[in-house]
Amino acid sequence: MTDYVDAGEAIPFAQLSNVKGSAPATTNVDYERIKAAASEPENWLTYYGTYDGQRYSTLDQINKDNVRRLSPAWVFQAGAVGMQSGASTYSFEASPIVVEGVMYVSGPDGRVWAIDAKTGEELWRYKHASPYDVSLCCGNVNRGVAVGHGKVYMYTLNAHLIALDATTGQVVWDTVNGDVRAGESGSVAPLIVKDMVICGSAGGEFGVRGHLDAFDAHTGERRWRCYTVPKPGEPGSETWPDDGEAWQRGGANCWVTPTYDPELELLYQGTGNPAPDFDGAVRPGDNLYTDCTIAVDVNTGEIRWHYQFTPHDLWDYDSTMENLLFDAPDGRKLLAHADKNGYFFVLDRTNGELVRVFPFVDRITWGEITPDGKVTPKIYPDEEGVPVHFWPGPAGGKEWTHMSYNPQTGLIYIPVQEVGATATRRRREFKESIPYWGAGVAVDIEDYYGFVSAVDPLTGEEKWRWRNEYPMCASTLTTAGGLVFQGTPTGEFVALDAQTGEKLWSFQCGSGHHSSPTPFSVDGRQYIAVPTGWGGWIEGFLPGLLGAAAGDALFCFALPED
Amino acid sequence: MTTAESDRAAEYAAAGLDGQNRTALGRLLGTGRIGYVEEDADGTMRAEIRIPEDELRYDPAILILPHGGDLVLTLYNDDKNTHCAVLPSNGDPKFIWLVNHAKGTASISLDGPGTYWYGSTSGNDEGRGLVGAIVIGGEVPDHAKLDRPPQPRP
Repeated sequence: MTDYVDAGEAIPFAQLSNVKGSAPATTNVDYERIKAAASEPENWLTYYGTYDGQRYSTLDQINKDNVRRLSPAWVFQAGAVGMQSGASTYSFEASPIVVEGVMYVSGPDGRVWAIDAKTGEELWRYKHASPYDVSLCCGNVNRGVAVGHGKVYMYTLNAHLIALDATTGQVVWDTVNGDVRAGESGSVAPLIVKDMVICGSAGGEFGVRGHLDAFDAHTGERRWRCYTVPKPGEPGSETWPDDGEAWQRGGANCWVTPTYDPELELLYQGTGNPAPDFDGAVRPGDNLYTDCTIAVDVNTGEIRWHYQFTPHDLWDYDSTMENLLFDAPDGRKLLAHADKNGYFFVLDRTNGELVRVFPFVDRITWGEITPDGKVTPKIYPDEEGVPVHFWPGPAGGKEWTHMSYNPQTGLIYIPVQEVGATATRRRREFKESIPYWGAGVAVDIEDYYGFVSAVDPLTGEEKWRWRNEYPMCASTLTTAGGLVFQGTPTGEFVALDAQTGEKLWSFQCGSGHHSSPTPFSVDGRQYIAVPTGWGGWIEGFLPGLLGAAAGDALFCFALPED
Repeated sequence: MTTAESDRAAEYAAAGLDGQNRTALGRLLGTGRIGYVEEDADGTMRAEIRIPEDELRYDPAILILPHGGDLVLTLYNDDKNTHCAVLPSNGDPKFIWLVNHAKGTASISLDGPGTYWYGSTSGNDEGRGLVGAIVIGGEVPDHAKLDRPPQPRP
């Protein structure tokens, strides 16, 4: 009989760290405050900064005259312990939220932190235990949290929407909202509207049926679900085969945060590709509501209108990326969307009417869209086993990473990827949780480049571009300091002159950027925070850098205090 | 707790993959026994995990749960060296230090279904074989399933 030493009870790992365990209570963030978020630029209250998705800050302490002095104020290292899913694909993709000097940010593998935004001190941490074997098409990533009603909301890799106490990081509620056995997962940053949390699903590469959901922010009870592929008999079902099963696996997932117009009470949600991505013969028809912007009534979850950018998609051209809201000089309510298919669309956001469409990339071979919106496919994988090369590749002329709009210049700053791909159709049977692409795909590892394009959305004119050897795979941010910030795949964080595109400053962060920078200020000092870390779906958007250095650090920049 | 053996164990042994410093330097991960939890009336699941002498492995190496929920592990270090365990748990991983011939407990909470790994984060215990799996079966709740007819699975 062995006389064992008593090892006691296992303790939370954070006890063996310098984490404080609590964050200061902030004043409450509610719907009225988020609606007026532009009036408190010291904070970044919601995913895009404001409901309109402009990613614009009126802070101007950091400006084009002094940006050359910008330096790191602090760095936060995420790190990892043990084995995690997508062990080689983790990436820091979030846009940090900042409320009164407290930063809330999510990272890979179910982690959320509250950080002192002035010093970088870790205040509390939460880690949702994520299954190692969850289906993840595009890496171990999370795009951010929502903060409000005293809580921090995150959608986990295994499709749980969780609410944490904003001061302690402890779970308040946990709602299971997806089927991991079907290939569903979660990566989107939730959005708070009224007393609800809005959250979309991921898993389109595994043949799920996409949906957008609203939950009671206080209890986690689901208020409504909006499926983005109709059942037989529902509006839009005529765009799917009558007698088939295709609609059941149709995709159209909502894995990027919607924008929102409080006056119209409409959510503008981009939807993902149809499944299987490249084999259209099993799903004849336009396949609504894939590759669309859908305007969803926030109170009921009903689709009020839709606009489809790539009917019957055969190139993996999700339209999940943001729908940026802005108003024309005559007051017309507009929406701007730079699609994967290489075209930039301006729509009337009251009714979905096309106002303008024009290309924003140099190379488009898959097809053509005329100024009146007529779509003509030209090159696509329609013959079994025959390779077909096309531009843009499946990551698109612009992927999910976001553009920004500066009201001072009237320009939208688009991060552009010029990368092609070859797809070879290979039909396969559908099986739950197994990738359902219908093709072998190889994205080009040469002949690529990128640029930031400054476009006037009222005319379609490109005013300037800042060209880079590598594609742009991170969000832009623009400020009243006359600046555009852009992270590059090779690690540089760059500041450009918003009027001319001149490069004014850069800092090498050591790993590539695939996230969204956040501006804020504390005690009168302006900061720019940017999560870094090269990962995610690199084989899709830039396989030429699959071997580049990984990382997961959050840099926070400011001007020297003296 | 019950265990299951298979012909595969004999194959690993014949290949020299199931021990220390045989064919490889360490023990190939995932080559140990499979164990199953016992379940209390209130749904709490329990199991014992041991670290045998000079084997640098958790036994059983793979622990199977019928569903997600609360799991109480009793861990024994029967080895003559010190190890530990960092175990996944919603909120924060749990840590227990296991000196030579120590016994302790860990209460963790995990979602199902899915597979979780844990390990001894000391030196290269993980590389030598001290990595265990917790495998959770079952389905997500009905309210979390898609509104569509049953689909084929692999």
